[in-house]
Amino acid sequence: MSFPILSLLILTPIIGALTLSLSSSSQLKNKTIFLSGLWITTGEFLLSLLLPIFYDKTKSGYQFTEYHTWFDKFDINYYVGVDGVSIPLILLTTFLVPICLLCSLNSIQNRAKEFVIYFLLLESFIIGVFVSIDLVIFYVFFEAVLIPMFLIIGIWGGENRLYATFKFFLYTLAGSVLMLLAIIYIISKVKSGNIELISNFTFDQQIELILFLCFFASFAVKVPMFPFHTWLPDAHVQAPTSGSVILAGVLLKLGAYGFIRLSLPFFEYASIYFQPMIFALSCVAIVYTSIVALRQLDMKKMIAYSSVAHMGFVTIGIFTLTQDGINGAYFQMISHGIVSAALFLIVGVVYERHHTRMISDYSGVTNVMPKYSFFFMIFMLSSVGLPGTSGFVGEFLVIMSTISVSVYLTFFTAIGVILGASYMLLLYKNINFGDLKTDIKQLADLSNIEIFYFSCLAFLTMLLGIYPKLLFEMINKSISMSIL
Amino acid sequence: MINFYQFIPEIFILALILLTLCFGLFNKDRSIAINTLGFFLLTLILINFGKDFYISTDISLNTINLFVLSKIILSIGSIVFILLSKRPLKNENLYRYEYILFILFAILGSFVLISSDNFLTAFIGLELQSLSLYLMAAFNTKNLKSNEAGIKYFSLGALSSGFLLFGISMIYYDTGTFYMQNLNNFTTISEIGLSLILISLFFKVSAAPFHIWTPDVYEGSPTISTLFFASLPKFASLIFLFRVYQELNISGIQSLNYIFQIVCAISLLVGVYGAITQKVIKRLLAFSSINHIGFMLLGIMSYQFMSEGTLFFYLIIYLITTFGIFAVLLNLRTVEGEFTKISQLNGLRFTSNSKSISMLVFFFSLAGIPPFAGFFAKFFILSASITDGFFFLSIVAVLSSVIAAFYYLTIIKNMFFNKSEIELLVDNNKIGKVIFISFGLIITLFFFYPDPLINLVDNLFK
Repeated sequence: MSFPILSLLILTPIIGALTLSLSSSSQLKNKTIFLSGLWITTGEFLLSLLLPIFYDKTKSGYQFTEYHTWFDKFDINYYVGVDGVSIPLILLTTFLVPICLLCSLNSIQNRAKEFVIYFLLLESFIIGVFVSIDLVIFYVFFEAVLIPMFLIIGIWGGENRLYATFKFFLYTLAGSVLMLLAIIYIISKVKSGNIELISNFTFDQQIELILFLCFFASFAVKVPMFPFHTWLPDAHVQAPTSGSVILAGVLLKLGAYGFIRLSLPFFEYASIYFQPMIFALSCVAIVYTSIVALRQLDMKKMIAYSSVAHMGFVTIGIFTLTQDGINGAYFQMISHGIVSAALFLIVGVVYERHHTRMISDYSGVTNVMPKYSFFFMIFMLSSVGLPGTSGFVGEFLVIMSTISVSVYLTFFTAIGVILGASYMLLLYKNINFGDLKTDIKQLADLSNIEIFYFSCLAFLTMLLGIYPKLLFEMINKSISMSIL
Repeated sequence: MINFYQFIPEIFILALILLTLCFGLFNKDRSIAINTLGFFLLTLILINFGKDFYISTDISLNTINLFVLSKIILSIGSIVFILLSKRPLKNENLYRYEYILFILFAILGSFVLISSDNFLTAFIGLELQSLSLYLMAAFNTKNLKSNEAGIKYFSLGALSSGFLLFGISMIYYDTGTFYMQNLNNFTTISEIGLSLILISLFFKVSAAPFHIWTPDVYEGSPTISTLFFASLPKFASLIFLFRVYQELNISGIQSLNYIFQIVCAISLLVGVYGAITQKVIKRLLAFSSINHIGFMLLGIMSYQFMSEGTLFFYLIIYLITTFGIFAVLLNLRTVEGEFTKISQLNGLRFTSNSKSISMLVFFFSLAGIPPFAGFFAKFFILSASITDGFFFLSIVAVLSSVIAAFYYLTIIKNMFFNKSEIELLVDNNKIGKVIFISFGLIITLFFFYPDPLINLVDNLFK
């Protein structure tokens, strides 16, 4: 197809951001700015819907490719394309960004124009990561994501935002510069940054191990895996609701996407060699962070720790190196993207009304906000992994695939599921049930806008839970390519 | 037989100096106009006929191209600098025509330094350059710190010149020649001599551990002089260092090679280590420049795997960024005088959009974060150094740039997140504004489309 749809996807938000930044802010009301941002992102979402429609599921390899030379000398090219692995993530991104803008319609009062601009830039950079098939532009987009996110947390965050945003930025940067060195080494060896070409190249085994660790440093921080996860709770707690949504919904997936897209096909030997290490770290992540989550007093922190645990399932699934495992991990990624985003929105709703995130400040919310409790229940159950919701399919597949590797692994993963159920149910119980506190009485139930986006998210969760084939059809072929 | 054509650029500047001397007495404004025009003319001449000047000499073609290119860059830099210097000098009551003369002498010295084959000529060029710099540092005679900076710079600079002369004399004792191309076989004595020469050059480009003068001199001097120290003379010294490295084939001499590598690693680390705790922005920029010198030394060492285009890409991007940052700083004033502390940047976002966003671009570019040209500048150097096998230095380099990101982010934090504490007098200098906005755009554009610049340089060298 000659129509440059991927470049259009990358450029639309940037052009929107430029137009917004050139308009004079004094004349525009906040609402107008948010509405224009919404128009742009909704248009972007509709545009991205063309991808699954025109994507040929029977073929493997990249489609909608565009190739332009960027540097003559270095063989760095603007080479983009999508396959089954990237399309669902692109859709997830374009779907979540309008919701982020919708949910901050009331909460972001100052500097609204900048806020919308940063979100638009963030969207285009994230899409850039998912569509690039050249290592250099992959890295460029991967890094560029940091700048808008740094500003979003730093400007609109909570009281301890500076610490959180610096930690977020420096952790991620420290990981990714090592990846940069590895990328440069690979390019100097293979003489090309093309992902397909590099996949066919075999490195020396010793060197492959080092290269794998360099990539691992970057992706493990992003996922985040156990010893590198400490930036995540801070960033989540301090970020504004919309920031948390995009962080949990999409940014965490960049790491896992990197594992599937780069680490597995490039370093087959090293992936097998480091399998035990990754399993160990993921098991620790699942059990340890679940226990930590049980004892949290802050809602956002609890969900943040639960994210680490859920992403542990993803990394285990990916490194079983089986079709089922990766399929399950991928499904878990998408499902977690929807569900954790929804849970952060749920926290945002009560935070906006009551201005506290402490669990102990809430009790008996269901008496005054019945609709709220209803949606909360759906997402809570999906996060727990109830059959019929999207959370179930991913966890089930991952656990199933671990049996072929080791029974101990299955044991620890299953413990994670139980612990997950306990802290989520505890959270739900403490907030929604019990005596109605006096200062909660005046809380208003969900507005129409909130009902709108919660129903969209709930619909998606149920749809994927009941008819998972929708997603598997898309990814099967591409994933089987990456585990050759 | 000496070919006099090759001195045309230097003679041109000498003529400019004489002209400025005559006119400057009567009309200061005109001397700025004359020099802007003069350097513009010089740039045009160099672009069109630069290579022809050297045609009948026995200098190799590559070196000729190096001369021409660096002289073009220097003269374009001088145009920008002279245009920028008028307003800050007026603000500080320093607007005297001698300042322009110092610039001219320093540029003349740089020209001589770049194109010298002979160590003695290089010494003369370096001294001409340095003496002007000492005077520029102490130009604010009523300010104690400026005097201190001048004296510090002078005494330490004189010491380093002593090293240079001693090194030259040792080489002369050993080989009986001052010419670089005649030096082939090195004995221990000439190796020591050469290392003394290198130390002196490291001092000039402020590579650690010969950097001690940098923060104090940067802080004490008038900001406009600091901009000059940080940009053009340093560029010239670096080009000469590059020539010494190339023509004497230092990569083949084990001991000197070690010196280079150690200096590179120390510069990378000392730069970031020193910058973290700084509260005065000029001191921070001084340390950050030391870190960048480390990168440039890495580039010089792994030159064989780079094209000229990519090596110059780093230098040009660094020059543009430095000019941009200082153009913003020069446009800001406090009630007490020049802008100094980082905390004074607080809330710049609310005072001036264009300044804060340009600063954001420049600092992210210095930190090497895409989508700004600084990323590719670092990328090229790292890719060459990894191909060359400097794995350890590359890791030190990237880790240092992570630490560097911390203090660049602190500045951005101050501008974007904090509320302003004191009132900044925004000096609406039109020229300065045009310069930093256009440089910010250039930095962004060169990320997306760097080929023209790289190809331009590379084609020159073909």
